[in-house]
Amino acid sequence: MTTDFGVYIHIPFCKQKCFYCDFPSFAGREKYIDEYLNSLHHEMELGAERIAEKGKLTPHTIYIGGGTPSHLNLSQMQMLFEAIRANMQVKDVAEFTMEVNPCTIDEEKLHLMKANGITRVSIGVQSFDDGCLQRIGRIHKSSMAIEKVRLAQKAGFDNISIDLMYGLPGQTLDMLKKSLDKAMELGIQHISVYGLQLEEGTVLAKQQEMGRLELPDDEAVEKMYDYLVEYLPAHGFSRYEISNYAMDGYYSRHNTLYWQDVPYLGFGSGAHSYWRGNRYENPVDICEYIKATAEGKFLHIVEEAVSEKAHMEEFCFLGLRMTKGINKEKFMEKFNRDIYEVFGNAIKEMTAKGLLQENDGVLSLTPMGMKYGNMVFGAFIIE
Amino acid sequence: MDTKKIRNFSIIAHIDHGKSTIADRLIEYTGTLSKREMENQVLDNMDLERERGITIKAQTVRIDYKGKDGEMYCLNLIDTPGHVDFTYEVSRSLAACEGALLIVDAAQGVEAQTLANVYMALEHDLEIIPVINKIDLPSADPDRVKQEIEDVIGLDASEAILASAKTGQGIEEILDAIVERIPAPSGEADKPLSALIFDSYFDSYKGAIAHIRIMDGVLKKGMGLKMMATGKVFDATEIGCFRPQTTELQEMGPGSVGYLAGSLKQVRDVRVGDTVTLAEGGVTEPLPGYRGVTPMVYCGLYPVDSADYDNLKDALEKLQLNDAALVFEPETSIALGFGYRCGFLGLLHMDVIQERLEREYNLKLITTAPSVIYHVFKTDGEMVTVDNPSDLPDPTTIDHIEEPFVKATVIVPKDFVGAVMEISQNKRGEFKSMDYLDVNRVMVIYHIPLSEIIYDYFDKLKSSTRGYASLDYELADYQPAKLVKLDILMNGEAVDALSTIVHVDNAASRGRSLAAKLKTIIPQQMFEIPIQAAIGNKIIARENVRALRKDVLAKCYGGDISRKRKLLEKQKEGKKRMKAVGRVEVPQEAFMAILNID
Repeated sequence: MTTDFGVYIHIPFCKQKCFYCDFPSFAGREKYIDEYLNSLHHEMELGAERIAEKGKLTPHTIYIGGGTPSHLNLSQMQMLFEAIRANMQVKDVAEFTMEVNPCTIDEEKLHLMKANGITRVSIGVQSFDDGCLQRIGRIHKSSMAIEKVRLAQKAGFDNISIDLMYGLPGQTLDMLKKSLDKAMELGIQHISVYGLQLEEGTVLAKQQEMGRLELPDDEAVEKMYDYLVEYLPAHGFSRYEISNYAMDGYYSRHNTLYWQDVPYLGFGSGAHSYWRGNRYENPVDICEYIKATAEGKFLHIVEEAVSEKAHMEEFCFLGLRMTKGINKEKFMEKFNRDIYEVFGNAIKEMTAKGLLQENDGVLSLTPMGMKYGNMVFGAFIIE
Repeated sequence: MDTKKIRNFSIIAHIDHGKSTIADRLIEYTGTLSKREMENQVLDNMDLERERGITIKAQTVRIDYKGKDGEMYCLNLIDTPGHVDFTYEVSRSLAACEGALLIVDAAQGVEAQTLANVYMALEHDLEIIPVINKIDLPSADPDRVKQEIEDVIGLDASEAILASAKTGQGIEEILDAIVERIPAPSGEADKPLSALIFDSYFDSYKGAIAHIRIMDGVLKKGMGLKMMATGKVFDATEIGCFRPQTTELQEMGPGSVGYLAGSLKQVRDVRVGDTVTLAEGGVTEPLPGYRGVTPMVYCGLYPVDSADYDNLKDALEKLQLNDAALVFEPETSIALGFGYRCGFLGLLHMDVIQERLEREYNLKLITTAPSVIYHVFKTDGEMVTVDNPSDLPDPTTIDHIEEPFVKATVIVPKDFVGAVMEISQNKRGEFKSMDYLDVNRVMVIYHIPLSEIIYDYFDKLKSSTRGYASLDYELADYQPAKLVKLDILMNGEAVDALSTIVHVDNAASRGRSLAAKLKTIIPQQMFEIPIQAAIGNKIIARENVRALRKDVLAKCYGGDISRKRKLLEKQKEGKKRMKAVGRVEVPQEAFMAILNID
């Protein structure tokens, strides 16, 4: 029997940190991997002890992300799966995803993953243009990405997702078009496409400060966006979230939890949890995380208790990320209030601007609203 | 209280030269307040005053001190506001005194504002005791400062007291000097009552309260009184002195300083400079020097949220209770909706009011650029006063316009005289005089339009003299000038609240700079926004705010939610400070942009 929550497991190790990445991930900390995996095991035990009703956790979905989970070697990966299986009911999960990097994934690892119940593989491709890949600090070449997708398929995976990016340094619309065409040849089921955002402290941000970064201008980036949001649906990939596209039935169940107000437990350094109305964050520093877990801490840093106000806001600004939008009745069910009573002005203003629409009791972003999502999300913040 | 044992004095000092800290030390030394009650800068009790280190509202305190002769003396310290906006209030406070401490920073020397106030004190025949403060500073040069006091002000500085409010040095000497050198008041008890109002404030229980100095006669609790300027008749329901908290008394004789309450509903009834006398059988001639306060600068205040209109009115009314110089009346702007046109003594006064409205009354406001009062002479011979650029009559009906000029006194080290002259010329100033105060410092006087002072004259002065320039100004006269209205069009529509009156020679460059500045202030929106500057029908500058091409958070998974929420909250906070003008969201600071252009 599965209950309604997801599990996220964080592997913070990378061979090299990508130039755009501000995630809690680190290169050159390989010496901590074994100890870290022990801590993960221990943290999951603590979770099972304190939360599970029948000894093991029974998540609806599991997602192993990073960092780079495929940076673990075979035996470390084995350790990880053992830790998961010891504390979670794996065979009943609806979706079990693992992120991999084309450079560090291989046939043996793929077989191990398959044997341990992984149902979905998410491959960090980012672009099929080698120049673009190099400029953002990716360690793989496009040929390698294609090869590894094929390898995953050969290993029996029939639910494969790739990540692509646009607005990259030196990227042209033409390059993006070629990347999309290549992706279509692979026979994959899911694509996430992210516009590049310069985050503080990243290599790209520093290059920008020094004036050494050549980014496509706003208009070019807009053209890329306009192109891909037309292209992917025309090729059988429906847009089900602002940055996510899938063939029928292949949307990411795990990520959908985040947008639909479903609880989740995060294990590992820097992992976030949303549990019984609170949000928690584990220490980002690997050693600090190891220490805290050794002290028996679990869900220990209360980031915030989500107030009713925040809960309503999040229900809306997360829900609206999805194409299917938010259901007025569901809002009523959850908060016992009419959505118009709380957000009437925001709905009116955003509808007037052509960013929001209502059909059959469902509020959703218009295509224009998807493009200017922040304006709509901001309007759903209560003063 | 024996009149011979009273000493009334004020403190004259430039900002930061240590007026408030010296006052604190005097209060502390005499035990007027216990250590526990002592807060730094007791006299500046408004939050804003503490933060800015300035005195906005004058305070008064009575200090009891045993002189060297073993007698008890009553020293009334009458504090004065230290800013050019409040010159009239300063003059009334000085009129209530027989003496003044002149505090000069041992490192910085005499400044323009100090000078103006010293001259004012000399006009009132006050005994001036020079005090050289901050002598503990390594850069202190008391001999040079003494010389400066003698050369510049013409005072004998040989007996100047060397003090440090920080270490307490010289405090006792100051107290003794007050007793020995400042004359006792000269009033006579058996004459009819006459008392000078030198300040007022509003107390929500007692109503408007006057700070008074008894010149002649005796004031007793319960007496029937009359305000000579307004004719207002009332009873003295409560009288007393400040220690510094109000302490009730039954009667006050000549020379006494204290407060007077009498069921007066607003500070308008209690005018600074007015004379209080008996309702019947009082004096027939008021004390000299009274004048009504008139605003020099006007601006529009609009609530960002139009639902706050009534709250703004309430807040202004409450502030007005305690501030006779604040005037306001309803005004409507096509761009900004309903608001108030408000008049102020000067820019600081405007700033302070605006900040108090936002802080104490929690209002989000849009302030339009300040304007001086123009005299517009029409071709039909009529003269109208205009304090709002959008009220300027049709140019074809205008014969000529006059604008207010001030006499601006600038004191700077001699190396910066060139810079001061250049800025002053650029600001349409007319050179009047230049005098060396000592070998190093120069006093330059310009006749300059007030509107230029309001723009960025002082900022420019400060930045091009490395902060050394000090400025004082007083209204001189009205003079004709070639002025035109500069309009701003946003998205093709004129925004009345952005109109300004400028000199024709500056119009083109101001228009270009303003359009360029607005381009940096107006955030990108879903569509392109043309910004144009125009004089009449002629467009003189154009800029475009490019359209925002896309605005959406690409990633939002489990670990991003709290962080993204904070971003959205910040975005919302920013939006709260925007006003929708047509389709364009315009941030608050856009309406003040004209003040910050080059």
